[in-house]
Amino acid sequence: MQLNFAAREVAIKLVYYGPGLSGKTTNLRALHQLVTEDCKGRLMTLETKDDRTLFFDMLPLVFHGLASATAEDARSTGLSLRVKVFTVPGQVIHASTRKLVLQGADGVAFIADSRRSETQSNAASFLDLKANLEDLGRAIGDMPVVIQFNKRDLPDVRPEAEVLALAQRGKEPVYQAVATSGAGVAETFVGLLHLTYSRLDREHQLSGKLAITPPELLELVSQRLGGASGQTLLGACLGGFRA
Amino acid sequence: MSTHTPEELVHDARLGLEDLLDRESLVELCESAHALFGIPVRVFAANGALLAAVAPVHEVCAYIDTVAAGQAACGAVVDGVKTAQPAVDVVHPCFTGQAYRITPLVYEGRSIGKIVVGPYLPLGAGRASAPILQQYEEPRLVEALARVPRASDATIRNLGKHLTTTLGLIVFSGHKALLTSSMHLATVTAGYKELEEKNRQIEGAFNRLKELDRLKSNFLATVSHELKTPLTSIIGYSEMLMEGLAGPLTSEQLDFSATIHDKGMQLLDLITGLLDMSKLESGTMTLRRRMMEIQPILHDVYTTVLPQAKKKGVELVLDATRESCELNADPERLRQVFINLVDNALKFTPTGGTVTIESRVMEDPADDDQAGLALLAPTESQVRVWIRDTGIGIPRYEHAKIFDAFYQVDSSTRRGYGGTGLGLSIVRRLVLAHGGTITVDKNEPEGTVFVVTVPSASHPMTQTSLPPPPVGTG
Repeated sequence: MQLNFAAREVAIKLVYYGPGLSGKTTNLRALHQLVTEDCKGRLMTLETKDDRTLFFDMLPLVFHGLASATAEDARSTGLSLRVKVFTVPGQVIHASTRKLVLQGADGVAFIADSRRSETQSNAASFLDLKANLEDLGRAIGDMPVVIQFNKRDLPDVRPEAEVLALAQRGKEPVYQAVATSGAGVAETFVGLLHLTYSRLDREHQLSGKLAITPPELLELVSQRLGGASGQTLLGACLGGFRA
Repeated sequence: MSTHTPEELVHDARLGLEDLLDRESLVELCESAHALFGIPVRVFAANGALLAAVAPVHEVCAYIDTVAAGQAACGAVVDGVKTAQPAVDVVHPCFTGQAYRITPLVYEGRSIGKIVVGPYLPLGAGRASAPILQQYEEPRLVEALARVPRASDATIRNLGKHLTTTLGLIVFSGHKALLTSSMHLATVTAGYKELEEKNRQIEGAFNRLKELDRLKSNFLATVSHELKTPLTSIIGYSEMLMEGLAGPLTSEQLDFSATIHDKGMQLLDLITGLLDMSKLESGTMTLRRRMMEIQPILHDVYTTVLPQAKKKGVELVLDATRESCELNADPERLRQVFINLVDNALKFTPTGGTVTIESRVMEDPADDDQAGLALLAPTESQVRVWIRDTGIGIPRYEHAKIFDAFYQVDSSTRRGYGGTGLGLSIVRRLVLAHGGTITVDKNEPEGTVFVVTVPSASHPMTQTSLPPPPVGTG
């Protein structure tokens, strides 16, 4: 996180992690479509010719003028929330790039492939995330993480009841998605942003300093993501309430 | 170029126009815009630095500058343009009636600079009436103003929009290229560091192995030497017992003493072999070379092994060349080579078979493509010795391995033949030490043939010293 009190600006870095071809870039494309025009920059993708992510994708989002309705102070400009969403290259060979992109991340969305056949790759990629964070001197337990079970529309996926059972055992919020159609994408993003901002708020007392609480931020950002209320989006979460 | 680290770039580095744009290309962009409307174009960075300008001075501006008060007023207008940081498009007027349009450049929600188009005369603008203009000659002022390019508000707005869009695209491409190249560099650096670390580990492991190999050779030499001393006593005393020096023995006692003596001799062979091996491996074996011919050696080998052949019922044939070929070799070591080979041949040849020792002087360099063959071939004569047997033969796929130390073809069936598995390895090393070669082939119609080639004294190969010990063998 980077804080600029003078400009009333917070910059947050979110990383979409996961095995190769699990749909990280697709999530970013869908998010780019969902966000209102005034908030989004150009989606930067660095791809190889076979559509695999070479280094990373990056979507800059800027939410200007986030002001609490109850804030009575004179700071009329409101808060600028700059969010940079990165994806990492999923392929095993790009280990060093993944670690580099992960540096300074404030929150991680782990995009898993729901198909049973991908169970091993999901687990291996999660362990890779854990190891890379440890190499960077950070514990995965201290990192805001949400899990998305993507590709829910494909055959041979884990049934919802099974995902729910798994979600309730774990501590990370779990979302279901079909990123190709945009379903579950806003929920995952908002869920991660809320979790991350809440964590940063606890650590740096942002509510007091910036006059905007996590629930307020949640609603203000959600309005610019297609209109559904923040609470509705968060409601799509399965399990992970022990966070 | 940008001085941002890859770590900063994958966070939220504050990038400036100057980081992402090529100055010369930026001037070209300004020139093309100027060529369309004849209106000056300037691009400023966020910190106010002028990055590019195509701005020929209008005649009217030059005329204004001729009067001190006008020059000061003009300076104030220009300062205003330079310091303006508008969030949206604004028109900045000049007291002459001209105007500047300032368009902010925004990237990823942050101001990264501005484009200034002007001065131009807005279409439909009325005549300027600033008091300061009264200090100028009116006809000349009017004439100069008439030469200032005119443009409608919409045209200038569109020009500004076109320039910001174009610059936005260039900035995005520049950002992408900057990220790609930085990431590429970071990835390559990380990969290089990883390889370097692995190389270091491999080198460490290699050095440890070399040290272990040296320790093994030392150990082998020391232990063999220490074993040899008591063994000499065992063999000596068993001989004395058999000779009756300690009194007459019963036939059973004689048998037992003979067994002690035979097994002691076997052990001595093994230990001598190990000592030879360790000397060859450590490079401490020296050849006592002198000028010699091959015939006396082969004859000596023949007479030494003949009783053994007769005992087994194997015919031993010597067919030595009569041609003379002087060798510069160690006769004792060559004798060891051929005794070993003939002994082996006898061992694996059944009763009724034949073992032949044949030697010829050859004048054929190994490499037919060698330059100057016609001149060199006569000096490159060599003695070739064939040891043929009619024994059980060696499968072709085993040919490459039989010279490895302790290797025995099919140890289960060959155990009956005895041997340490060191003989051929030592033979090969001794032949190589003489600059020679040894190969094995199938004998027709049955059995094996070993071919030993030893270069003549004048052959360049004879100058070869003992080869360095190969790592990892033995």
